[in-house]
Amino acid sequence: MSLIEMQKVTKDYHLGETVVHALRGIDMQIDQKEFVAVWGPSGSGKTTLLNLIGAIDDPTSGELTIAGKNVRLLSDDQKSEHRNETIGFIFQGFNLVPVLSALENVMLPLQIKGASSAEARKQAMMRLEEVGISDLAHNRPAKMSGGQQQRVSIARALVNNPSLVIADEPTANLDSETARMVIDIMRELNEKDGITFIFSTHDQRLLNKVRRLVRLEDGKIVNAVENT
Amino acid sequence: MMKWIKLAFRNILRNKRRSFVTMIAIGVGFAAISLYYGYIHNVYAELKIAAIQGEGLGHLRINKSGWKEKGKLEPEKYMFSREETEKIIKLVGEEKEIRLVTPQIQLTGMVTNGASSTVFIAQGVIPKDDKAVQGSWGKYFMVNGQKLSDDKQYGVEMAIDLAKYLNFKPGSEGVVMSPTLSGQMNAMDIQVSGVYDTANDMSNDKFMRFNFYFAQSLLNTQSAERMVVLLKDLDDTEKMQTLLLKKLNAAGIDCEIKTWMELSMIYSKIKSYLDTIFMFLFSIVLVIVVMTTVNTMGMTIMERTKEIGTLRALGLKFRGVSLLFALEGAFLGFFGSVVGMIIHAIVWAAIKISPPHYTPPGFSISVPLYVDMVPLMLISLMVSLVLLSMFAAIIPARGAARKNIVDALGHV
Repeated sequence: MSLIEMQKVTKDYHLGETVVHALRGIDMQIDQKEFVAVWGPSGSGKTTLLNLIGAIDDPTSGELTIAGKNVRLLSDDQKSEHRNETIGFIFQGFNLVPVLSALENVMLPLQIKGASSAEARKQAMMRLEEVGISDLAHNRPAKMSGGQQQRVSIARALVNNPSLVIADEPTANLDSETARMVIDIMRELNEKDGITFIFSTHDQRLLNKVRRLVRLEDGKIVNAVENT
Repeated sequence: MMKWIKLAFRNILRNKRRSFVTMIAIGVGFAAISLYYGYIHNVYAELKIAAIQGEGLGHLRINKSGWKEKGKLEPEKYMFSREETEKIIKLVGEEKEIRLVTPQIQLTGMVTNGASSTVFIAQGVIPKDDKAVQGSWGKYFMVNGQKLSDDKQYGVEMAIDLAKYLNFKPGSEGVVMSPTLSGQMNAMDIQVSGVYDTANDMSNDKFMRFNFYFAQSLLNTQSAERMVVLLKDLDDTEKMQTLLLKKLNAAGIDCEIKTWMELSMIYSKIKSYLDTIFMFLFSIVLVIVVMTTVNTMGMTIMERTKEIGTLRALGLKFRGVSLLFALEGAFLGFFGSVVGMIIHAIVWAAIKISPPHYTPPGFSISVPLYVDMVPLMLISLMVSLVLLSMFAAIIPARGAARKNIVDALGHV
């Protein structure tokens, strides 16, 4: 069974009287352990597609199943639990909570889940070590560079051992050296831990490192290829 | 839970100036309520003493049934005879809660210095019992001259304005006239033993105090109009009212017993008036606290919409977001209340060291203004403001938590 199954998924936005068809009948399957890039021009529907897969938005029509759960049938609370347990998010702007240290930011998903502080601290520290930033564990985001913040963000996305990590333009705000480092970390985690990564990007360096490329245009998949 | 408390605490320190201003607003509101409550608490306590001891009402007053309605028409019938008086003193005095039971009489008439006359209202009391009724209030009851005594029954105390009208001074002599219970006019010589201030403009020009036996002589009776009962403990008032009524009725004495609160003309009215002002002030402060907190939390939530979106994306439920902001509101309410307590303590101490004086309406002398420290009220007020601030924070938080996560994440 695929990790993600999409059948004829559409998403419309209503801007006043205008209806914008962001996604027009997407059929796609993503298996576990895949490393998938969604790319295409601006406005092609990349972010919308990731939002639907991340269960932070609802499709207008079609069927979307993630880890065996039909997202449309879940209540708001069930979706929250589903996101917490199954999905990790890496945001373009890092989205770290500024009043929390790096360690506390990484602990957040576990604490939302209800884990004890000691357990959350242990797991979070392990993830920070994994992304090579444990020495900055007690620094707040304001005292960290963009690359360091993004690594904290990656650690936070992984701390709950999710089946799937979604990253929306994860390298967009990073310099090329830091971007390369972030890409390497993501690739390594995918290979080592078997975590499925799906992300949107324009970054050619990142596109070169993925196995599967999904190209979107005008809300449709126009090309889905395996990178060799 | 601790992690969310810690996060909420750090969040209120995010914008220190805004949180500080909000806490000051809550603190000033808290202090306004607590100081006013402390003031009226002190006033109520003083009014109780003024009614029980100052007005001489005692804790309970026993009259014959129907005295109020028909006592003026047939006074003899509605007064306690000498035998009844002695019986009541014995029966009531047996109870361990009783400190004192004493007969009193009230009369009206004319007083003259030989050249001019005016009306008076007098109370006949047994001097040594009256001293016990006045208790600690006695130190405020300043008499220029001599107080009432058993040795000189014709010696009277006269209110200051009445003495002024008749040009009486301590030692002056005059005549009082009053109808006896059978309706004949009676006159007796008096000597003004002392002049006193009733502290009330309405009574200072007509009040006098007689020895009880002198008043009986003037009315040509052996009866007493009422029996004043002083208890050891104020809290026993209602209990003893019921108990004594049963006991006296069982002994064949047809009487009614009223508490000092039922009898005091000023206590209930002033309390009702001050309570109304308190509620008005409390309502205004509550509105200010709610509006300030809603405004502060509204701005905070607006600035942190993206963060709310992030927390929701990470799996925090709708009620989790509400809880987080409710905790922040609670912190504002708590620290605001602490500020309010500090203001209260400073003002309370300053007033205690150097109390300002004011003249209440209808009073002829100024009285010190005190503010009581009432711990239970301070804690209750703090709990109220914390809950109110929580509620005020939840209002905007619910809206933000319900916002579409994608929209929240895209918020700039």
